[in-house]
Amino acid sequence: MITYSLRRIVSMLPILILVSVVVFFLAKMMPGDPFTGEIDPNNTKPEYIEEMREKLGYNDPIPTQYARWIGNFVQGDFGKSTKYKKPAIEVIKDKLPNTIFLAVCALIITYLLAFSLGMYAGRKPHTIGDHAIGIFNYGGLAIPQYIVAIVAIYFFAFKLGWLPSSGSIKPGLEHGTWEFWSSRFYHVILPAFTLGLLSTASYTQFLRNDIIQNSRMDYVRSARARGTSESSIYNKHILRNSIIPLITFFGFDLATLISGAIITETIFTYPGIGMLFIDSITSRDYPIIMSLTMIFSLLTLLGNLVADILYGIVDPRIRY
Amino acid sequence: MEPATEFEEEKIVDMEKFDSTWTIARKKFIKNKIAMISLCLLLFIIAFSFLGPFILTDDITRIHTDKSNLEPSSEHWFGTDRNGRDMFLRTIHGGKVSLTIGIVSMFAVTIIGSTIGAIAGYFGGMMDNLIMRFTDFVLTIPFTVFIIVLNTILLGYERVTGMWSLIIVFSLLGWGSVARIVRSKILSEKENEYVLAAKSIGTKSSKIISRHLIPNVMTIIIVQATLLLALYIVAEAGLSFIGVGVPPDTPSWGNMLMEARQTDVLKNKPWIWVPPAVCITLTILSINFVGEGLKDAFDPKTTK
Repeated sequence: MITYSLRRIVSMLPILILVSVVVFFLAKMMPGDPFTGEIDPNNTKPEYIEEMREKLGYNDPIPTQYARWIGNFVQGDFGKSTKYKKPAIEVIKDKLPNTIFLAVCALIITYLLAFSLGMYAGRKPHTIGDHAIGIFNYGGLAIPQYIVAIVAIYFFAFKLGWLPSSGSIKPGLEHGTWEFWSSRFYHVILPAFTLGLLSTASYTQFLRNDIIQNSRMDYVRSARARGTSESSIYNKHILRNSIIPLITFFGFDLATLISGAIITETIFTYPGIGMLFIDSITSRDYPIIMSLTMIFSLLTLLGNLVADILYGIVDPRIRY
Repeated sequence: MEPATEFEEEKIVDMEKFDSTWTIARKKFIKNKIAMISLCLLLFIIAFSFLGPFILTDDITRIHTDKSNLEPSSEHWFGTDRNGRDMFLRTIHGGKVSLTIGIVSMFAVTIIGSTIGAIAGYFGGMMDNLIMRFTDFVLTIPFTVFIIVLNTILLGYERVTGMWSLIIVFSLLGWGSVARIVRSKILSEKENEYVLAAKSIGTKSSKIISRHLIPNVMTIIIVQATLLLALYIVAEAGLSFIGVGVPPDTPSWGNMLMEARQTDVLKNKPWIWVPPAVCITLTILSINFVGEGLKDAFDPKTTK
């Protein structure tokens, strides 16, 4: 198991290096000079710009520049944001907790909904409730997330006035107080639901089908023959087996959450790294774009790694 | 002479009893009510979006300041937007852009993906290994993030318009899943004896792939293509909606939806954002139903 994990991590390295090369060249290809964050924009004297370029090493050969960039990146120096005039890592650090909070809430909502709906539908297949859940799933799979978000804002924030439509917190609250946290939760409900619903449908469908399949197995019949109660059969015997494939979904969820967070945060103007990414794209803040692209790729790779390793842990039939 | 003709007639009658895969699939698909209704709706939307601009030739870019933000009326069926442009016309023109992006990307991705997958699967060995490692790489990088970055780069050079830039980006990054599926199908398909027979009479590899193997994996490619069509229409609208897709001067469903990001429009002027939202949802729903119908129709295990 440990050797497998290590081997898997080592095999990730070439992909990581390839990703960093691609990101570097994309940044080089971007219109304008992506590395001008350090140059004072008010001083347009050609000599000054030339001197700064020389000093910052923009005239070095490309491989040297790449080596310097990746070296700095590994050490946590992501360059200086052109928009915020601060190191990019600080800008990202400011926004990251919001995104993590949103993602965790979304995950909790996904799992809670998927488990309750999936278990109900799997236990009572082909009933009215199951069909209703089926229709809900179909809608969830087909209707794009941003349309769900718009409609949710229209109804819950504007028509009913229950929830806020934007932001992550009411301004002017002291950190750590009860109001602070309740306001954060209050603001995260809508974005977390739209983000969480994204994977709920596929999870529910998967769990339902798996439970139905498992309920025809021999071990269920023998449990029934021993007089085990119906609820204990479903909640203990079957659920334990059906959870296995679901756990591995968790790794792939990271990728879904990233792309989902970019759209959700932008719609709800929720200040996380997803919105930061779109903001820096529109304001051409290259150091942030490059660092975030690297971070997102890293997270996606990590997600795949986690999925693979979890698969080995939960399913003892898999041997490496 | 008599017995011979009788024999031949019998043979023809016998042959007529066997339908080809395509005939069976067509018959199954026509019986599938939801899929047929969805197909009609989809064709209707496509016809409307592509023929509409030829019939309703009014200029959609002209700004009428005196007519801004009108509610739906008999003159302007869907009302007008902030700049006084007719929403009904913009919905049709937007549909043309959105559907063109979806359909062209679908064809491009399917062709690129099937070619790469077929080459990897047919030749195997080193070639397969190399191509599949590259495919893995394309599949592991976060799709949305790289699409946004690449699209910004392409748009920045101002050589291509927004619509084509998105199509190029989708085609560059989207072929991985198709390639993987086609490869795995070709791997099992090429073990069949008809491939050996074709090889033994000296057929060129390119011909074996295009004439013998691809037609046999066509059903899977078609089902995959319908899913891709839905994916790209959703992606275009999503990217344009958050402001990083098609530039706002070209109307597309996503761009029209972008208006809803202004609180005032979302709150008080639903006629501006509801039409594109409904159009996207209906299109995606019907594409999904058609895709499901096709999957059932091509599946030899289902009898319906």
